[in-house]
Amino acid sequence: MSIKGPEILFEINILGGIPITETIVGGWIVVAALTLIAFILGRNLSVRNPSKRQLAAEKLVAMLYGLVGDTMGKHNLRFAPLIGTLFSYSILSSLSGLTGMRAPTGDLNTTLAFALMIFFLIQFGNIKNKGVGGWLKGFTEPVALITPLNLISEIANPISMAFRHFGNIASGIVITTLIYAALATCSNALLGWIPILGDIPLLQVGLPALLSIYFDVFTSFLQAYIISMLAMVYVGGANEPSEA
Amino acid sequence: MQKFQEFVSIAPWTIIFTWANLLLLLFILKKLLFKPVTNILSQRENEVGEMYKKAEEAQKNAEELESEYTQKLSAAKEEASKIMKEATHEATLKGEAIVSEAQKKAQAAMEKAEKQIEQEKKAAVSEIKSDIASIAISVAEKVIEKDINESDYERLVEDFIDGRGEDK
Repeated sequence: MSIKGPEILFEINILGGIPITETIVGGWIVVAALTLIAFILGRNLSVRNPSKRQLAAEKLVAMLYGLVGDTMGKHNLRFAPLIGTLFSYSILSSLSGLTGMRAPTGDLNTTLAFALMIFFLIQFGNIKNKGVGGWLKGFTEPVALITPLNLISEIANPISMAFRHFGNIASGIVITTLIYAALATCSNALLGWIPILGDIPLLQVGLPALLSIYFDVFTSFLQAYIISMLAMVYVGGANEPSEA
Repeated sequence: MQKFQEFVSIAPWTIIFTWANLLLLLFILKKLLFKPVTNILSQRENEVGEMYKKAEEAQKNAEELESEYTQKLSAAKEEASKIMKEATHEATLKGEAIVSEAQKKAQAAMEKAEKQIEQEKKAAVSEIKSDIASIAISVAEKVIEKDINESDYERLVEDFIDGRGEDK
């Protein structure tokens, strides 16, 4: 038994070899699944007598826009689709672990991509609203002495976000793998003497499913919510309403 | 031969592909879900707002019509009472006129009758006078059998009658 990173499924031999990993393919599957869901939810909409499907879609979209409006302010509603994308990509990636896939969010590179995207949005927002001078000056506030600390905290921000999300999902993978291995060993030790039946790791039935409710389902929701919330707070902070 | 990446490692291509996935997903979700649903929501909002506006207009209209009708009704009532009053007044006037005319006519008839009576009385008096005169003459003729001047005699008789009339 070993715990490894994502498998490299194949390599594209351009630019010195592009490794296509389980994470990348998993990301495509997630995008395809979300496209299908969005297509089903978003078609045949009508102003009057909406179907239950449409009501669900309206509820979801209204919740997203409501949350973004409350957290970032009404002037930042243009970020709502981005936050929705981030949330849905994160949660479906994490939940895909339930199907036996390796969850894309269990790969640091996926969560780092999220975090860097948020980091760039924050910096762009600050530059756009304060100008380059104001953005640079922001690091020397409140006193020039703490500029290094400001820089460290600014850089630590995406790293902590990336590792938080990655760590939660990856630890789920690790623990599940360990429990499966442990249960197989127990099963073998207890029932191994029975012919045929002993070859089946019976103890693996049940317990992993219960644990998976916490490690996969609960954590998936929680981490998707946390990263979306942090994105809203940070990006919203970089895009304060202009004092008019 | 299966190849694996390290459990914790940085793979730039995975990051780039994730960004590409996110961008693609953003585009797809916007196109398929967010845009249509927000459009529908805003359309519905507009429609509801319009309905409210229309309802308010209709109510305003109804209220205007009601006040108009009330006004018309009260005007009609006023006119009716005015007409009634006028008619009553006219009738009273006419009645009075009729009564006064009748009184006048009666007065006139009375006067006429009195005049006639007076005339007839006069005529009767003068006839009686002449009768009495001639009777007196014939009586006197017979009594005194003397032929006196008729004109003298008539004067005598008239004096006598006038003297009687004054005594009355």
